[in-house]
Amino acid sequence: MSLARLRRRFQKLLEAVVLVLMSALAVLVVAGVVFRKAGASLVWYDEVASILLVWLTYYGASLAALDRSHIGFPRLLASTRGRLRSCLIVLGEAVAITFFATVAWAGWLVFRVLDGTYLVSLPWLPQQLTQSVIPVGAVLFIAAELLGLLDEPAEASDPPPGEVRPS
Amino acid sequence: MILIGMFLALVALVLINVPVAVALGVVAAVAIVWTDGVNALPNVALVLFDGARNFSLTAIPLFVLAGAVMNASGISRRLIAFASALLGFIRGGLSMVTIGAGLFFAEISGSAVADVAALGSILIPAMKRKGYTTPFAAAVTSSASTLAIIIPPSVPMILYAVMSGSSVVELFVAGIVPGIIGGLGLMGMAYWISVRHDFPIEEVFRLRRVAETFRAAAWALSLPLIILAGIFTGWVTATEGAGLAVAAAIFIGAVIYRELNLARLRESMVQGARQTAVVMLLVATSALLGDVLTSMQAPQRIALGILEMTENPLAILALLNVFFLGVGLFLHSAAAIILVVPIVMPLVEAAGIDPVHFGLIVTLNLGIGQQTPPVASVLMTACSIARADVWDVTKVNVRFIGVLAAILLLVTYVPAVPMALVNLFYR
Repeated sequence: MSLARLRRRFQKLLEAVVLVLMSALAVLVVAGVVFRKAGASLVWYDEVASILLVWLTYYGASLAALDRSHIGFPRLLASTRGRLRSCLIVLGEAVAITFFATVAWAGWLVFRVLDGTYLVSLPWLPQQLTQSVIPVGAVLFIAAELLGLLDEPAEASDPPPGEVRPS
Repeated sequence: MILIGMFLALVALVLINVPVAVALGVVAAVAIVWTDGVNALPNVALVLFDGARNFSLTAIPLFVLAGAVMNASGISRRLIAFASALLGFIRGGLSMVTIGAGLFFAEISGSAVADVAALGSILIPAMKRKGYTTPFAAAVTSSASTLAIIIPPSVPMILYAVMSGSSVVELFVAGIVPGIIGGLGLMGMAYWISVRHDFPIEEVFRLRRVAETFRAAAWALSLPLIILAGIFTGWVTATEGAGLAVAAAIFIGAVIYRELNLARLRESMVQGARQTAVVMLLVATSALLGDVLTSMQAPQRIALGILEMTENPLAILALLNVFFLGVGLFLHSAAAIILVVPIVMPLVEAAGIDPVHFGLIVTLNLGIGQQTPPVASVLMTACSIARADVWDVTKVNVRFIGVLAAILLLVTYVPAVPMALVNLFYR
């Protein structure tokens, strides 16, 4: 499989995951209101909604890393050329990948410690499952950073359109 | 010394284009290992999880999604038609329409970039066709879009509320009057420029046309208002209101307007998830840095240092305004709130400044920051749509920025402007 094809499939996978998480979050919050107004509050809904937000954060962050949407300051990098530019790109990627490799390792340690513990409001749901997002999300972020390099131009072209971000 | 080292490392990482969220995490993780050793690393994973686990912040993806769904449902077109019928008869009609539609769209969307993308893609080309200069078209659209974060709902206000421990609802209410004054001020400036350049009127005022376009836009205008009223009266929380806004947006788009299909809904959801994750990763890694700074008592030391210079709240507000305007030049609004608000809150509290009043000041400062290069997310989006040079647009936009700065001064030194409604209904 070519790298470009692998990138497309990876993107589709992440999009599918965030689609499910976003839908679940919206449905859950609306259901929470309906049940509360009907006098039958769902005791677990705010805890589960918060966990869905954490999952949306890390899986969505990998998707954003793939198309380089995270808030940054690309102007200096865009003004460099040749070897200096390549060195700065490699350095920046190395910093991000090292950080998330560390997070994956730390997340794995926490994952092992949490064996046998469960959520307060849903005593059948293992905390290992909810916390798994940290090591898994970190590994996905690393994969996204590496696959995102396929889109990185070798030379500086026009100045970037700007730091176009939400809010 | 460690603090200065952390700051320099953060700047260096950001300058080589490491994402701000990652740079925050790197600096915090290194500081944790430096002070507590490698054995403290599992705390990094725990804080990264807990930092993003906050029920109040769940409102962010939902408000972002509601805006994206509304936009995918042809709502922008209807709002623009209504604004045109209402304001198009004034000299510089399309610029008035842009600001009017910006005011209407602001009650649906909490993001200025979403607004500029939704309105700019229709109105900037239209203005160019009618003979408006390209820099003016981009500048007026860019500035009008900033109203989205002042008028509720507002993503930066939700972030500020969580970071400062303030009430989201009170912040939303506090934004209403400054938002309306801001809209009127921008219209005044657009009119003055339009008269000088003899820009055309858009259409003759006809009551029947106003009624027709209102009927078409009524669902989109009124449902978000009803949901906001539900939040203000305490019938639902801000997060629950955001969930209802999503349901309402899907209902309006799919059932009433019949323009929302599954493909558009899917695209809106992916777009909303991506935008949310960008902000939320910042929130999570800043929680890590926040832990480090708190353990060093950095915010308290900074507050004490400034209080030794002056204890006058007006002087402190002036200092904070200058500081936030400077921060807004180089930081995206979400990053600025997450990084700076926890640091300055002890100072704000010690000086006796109301946190909700200060929240409006921060939001307005960062709204101006969205218009001032080099980091100016909303301005850049407008320039990108208009295919205009940033500096050419900034030369025109400086007048609109002046209007926003005047509103900032008004909000800062006449607290009744943002706080009158809050005091009337909540205190």
